[in-house]
Amino acid sequence: MPSNVAEHTGTRGIPPVAMSQTSTLVTRTGSWSAIRPVYHDRVAPCNQACPVGIDIEGYLNLLRLDRVDEALELLLAENPMPAVTGRVCHHPCENACNRRFLDGAVSIHAVERMMGALPRDGMFPVVPVATRDEHVAVVGSGPAGLACAYHLARLGYRVTVFEAAAQAGGMLRLGIPEYRLPRAVLDRDIERIQAQGVTIRYGARVGVDPGWRQLMSKFGAVCVATGAHTSRALGVKGEDLPGVTPGLAFLRDVNAGKRPDLGRKVVVVGGGNTAMDCARSALRLGASVTVAYRRTRDEMPAIDEEIDEAEHEGAELTFLANPVEFERTNGRVSGVVCERMALGEPDASGRRRPMPTGQCFTIAADTVLTAIGELSYLDGFPEDVTREGAGLPVDALGQTNRAALFAGGDVTDLERTVADALGAGKRAAVGIDRHLRAIAGDGHDGQDTDALRFGRGNISALRWMGRDPIGRVAPLNEVVGIDDLNLHHFAAVPRHADAHLESALKRAGFDEVNAGLTSAQAIAEARRCLNCGVCTQCDVCLIFCPDAAITHGADGAYEVALDYCKGCGICVAECPRGALTMTRDRP
Amino acid sequence: MKKVMVGNHAVAWGAQLARVEVIAAYPITPQTQVVEKLSEMCAVGSLPARFIKVESEHSAMAACIGASATGARTFTASSSHGLVYMHEMLHWAAGGRHPVVMADVNRALGPGWNIWTDQNDSLSQRDTGWVQLYCETNQEVLDTTIQAFRLAEAIDLPVMLMLDGFYLSHTAEAVDIPDQEMVDRFLPRRVARRTLDVNDPHAFGALVRPDSYMEMRWLQQEAMRQVPRVLESIEADWMRMFGRSYGAVESYRAEDAELLLVTSGTVTSTARFVVDQRRAKGERIGLVKVKMFRPFPTELLRAALAGVDKVAVLDRNISPGHGGIFAEELRAALYDLPAEDRPLIYGYVLGLGGRDITPAVIDEVIERTRQGAPSEREDLWVGVNP
Repeated sequence: MPSNVAEHTGTRGIPPVAMSQTSTLVTRTGSWSAIRPVYHDRVAPCNQACPVGIDIEGYLNLLRLDRVDEALELLLAENPMPAVTGRVCHHPCENACNRRFLDGAVSIHAVERMMGALPRDGMFPVVPVATRDEHVAVVGSGPAGLACAYHLARLGYRVTVFEAAAQAGGMLRLGIPEYRLPRAVLDRDIERIQAQGVTIRYGARVGVDPGWRQLMSKFGAVCVATGAHTSRALGVKGEDLPGVTPGLAFLRDVNAGKRPDLGRKVVVVGGGNTAMDCARSALRLGASVTVAYRRTRDEMPAIDEEIDEAEHEGAELTFLANPVEFERTNGRVSGVVCERMALGEPDASGRRRPMPTGQCFTIAADTVLTAIGELSYLDGFPEDVTREGAGLPVDALGQTNRAALFAGGDVTDLERTVADALGAGKRAAVGIDRHLRAIAGDGHDGQDTDALRFGRGNISALRWMGRDPIGRVAPLNEVVGIDDLNLHHFAAVPRHADAHLESALKRAGFDEVNAGLTSAQAIAEARRCLNCGVCTQCDVCLIFCPDAAITHGADGAYEVALDYCKGCGICVAECPRGALTMTRDRP
Repeated sequence: MKKVMVGNHAVAWGAQLARVEVIAAYPITPQTQVVEKLSEMCAVGSLPARFIKVESEHSAMAACIGASATGARTFTASSSHGLVYMHEMLHWAAGGRHPVVMADVNRALGPGWNIWTDQNDSLSQRDTGWVQLYCETNQEVLDTTIQAFRLAEAIDLPVMLMLDGFYLSHTAEAVDIPDQEMVDRFLPRRVARRTLDVNDPHAFGALVRPDSYMEMRWLQQEAMRQVPRVLESIEADWMRMFGRSYGAVESYRAEDAELLLVTSGTVTSTARFVVDQRRAKGERIGLVKVKMFRPFPTELLRAALAGVDKVAVLDRNISPGHGGIFAEELRAALYDLPAEDRPLIYGYVLGLGGRDITPAVIDEVIERTRQGAPSEREDLWVGVNP
């Protein structure tokens, strides 16, 4: 048979091809080298940017691998309210996503929103059994208080949340309109938290009943998360006229189902998220809306999408307009006199300061909604607790100057976003755990807080518990930038856009405007993740190594045969994700 | 199963039936449909091969060599400038004894820019060490593609099969598609004699000094010398299983002929038609089709042509400064025949750059051969009006 044709070899045994007769393993090319590659996972920029401290890259990667249950577990280990943040978070993760330089950031919020709907059967994980004797009080059931309670429960504590209102949620329920956050979605995330064993006492205004001292003597530790619910006054003439209403009070009414008569023309004063919520809610009540803001669009503190939506729905934005007086007609407000401003030098916030020009103009108004910021107010709060400006100063783990008193959220006067509140609640829970363990002689303060963070971002509850996220080996707290990636290995896949209600339907009522993505689209978004800084065992290093010095080790991780690695660095240059670095440290 | 298909698709079907494992190819007119069909077969999964996209033919052949070195059954296709761009790598494939199979769609070389058929692209690769097989029909193209793998892998030499641009590549004919199971029996998985093995690494293609280089070339030549015998055995198997055979050299109505035409490629079919007409008139004219050009089938041609008065070689190619390439090689091959058996050889150059070779052109060749003096010149050009 031809397939058995004998190979001709000469009498001298010379092979038919130019092939070395001995194995090249005798040539230990690695001995030439002074450097070697090492596998070091680094931090994805989304993880660092997340104020909640979610291992975003980690759970997206698990979704890519169809390990949905583990992905959900990883997400819930850090964020108790994914359905809420999937809708209302300002997603700094996406603003940091390296994929934005390629073909659009991964739609992380939409993936999180999809995850927030899991498990579909509504069977939340089993209640953790309290393993510690201490009982902790949390004051306020907004995102900061609920996050603190949730993480404490998962750390084994008994937790009681004191809520002055009849329902939990704080600003999520009182301040955020239903068209952004349907109440059923909020209720479900709160149920998930209660399922961890958290008790909520409604109608309990701490400072009145019970008093602060009573609370602090009865509980091992107290976390203050009462938020900031008082609209800041403008301090201009006519502010007490009928028709001039604090924006938060208006939102509280609308969110409670009331439909106040605003007249035809509404002026909203302010440029933050509360102002946008007021404007869009007023539009839904049939008014025409003008937003007066004293700086320009670039300085507006509101989330970009909210500004876009408000404009899209018909709100008129008037910039460099600073209200100086409210006009009255027939005992009611009839107009807002604004002074035209000009931008000057940057102020302490880094934004350009508005400077008066002396020129004034008037905007007609039947109702004025003021939304220039909110203040916190604490009834009968202990005098010996340090207070600074609008809030309570706290350390990196939420501790005030009283050891057993912690705080988080808007009451601390840090960044006022839902995500920051959830992150602050987690920090306070970890701080309380550290404090109580120190008292009990069960110290758990070996790790400094930097080791608990994603880069310079928020801390991870899993790292505090000593359970690093799946698949991580000694992560360096370096953040991977676009220049650390090898984009040649990624094909362009456009970002999926969220589905939105038609504009006419939007203004007709309070139905949710953003319909998010389908599950399949959300999974496709998870697959768009570049896994910045994290080895996904894609084999690019193994394939490109010219010395075949990289192999799969017994546990699936790569091994570099240093006898043969010449230290050429091709693997490091080719690694799509920046998960390999060169080191001079050769054993 | 019979299917009407163009020659380019016959190539792709042949590669799929051969269960190639790696394809690295770059498209070029008139070969493009081969690449398109194969990538489609890979995309839909009917051909579970690794299709490597490359930026040039040079890289295509380099990738084929690398893949073949790992033991994979490897295929590519090219044409004209693409093939000559591969030239350096063709030497590496043969010298490295990699049994890569390639289909070359014969196309003229520029300038003047020309996409139509002639054989100068493949014949200018004559000395690269590849086996060369020229096909006449789409059925032969499909069958030869499959057979080429068995031949290549039996002797560890690369095989190039040729089909005429447009006359076969873009012309649809009924082609019988052999049963996959039978093809699998005819052509089992490749068992490579040497493979790249990270666990037993060796250096390949390294320096070979004068004291050994010649021995390697001698071994390569010895492998070439086995080809006629191996191909005959492969064709016998094919005949037994599928009922068709072609032969490295085929004689058609050559019995008692005074004049034999020597052809290759699709010209053969036209020549068969002319031979049939002449035979019908009682003329003693036949033809000899040369399928295998490398190794040159010296013995087979001596046997087929000994004793004939005149031989007219139809060369769709030109070696500038010499003559038609088949004619020149044939003259050399027959020189050792006894003087009384040695035919007069007329070498005609025709059909370059796709110019049509009609029955009338072949009639002209026959008449010139009957009347002409063989010493007139070695290259007799047909239909040229400078």
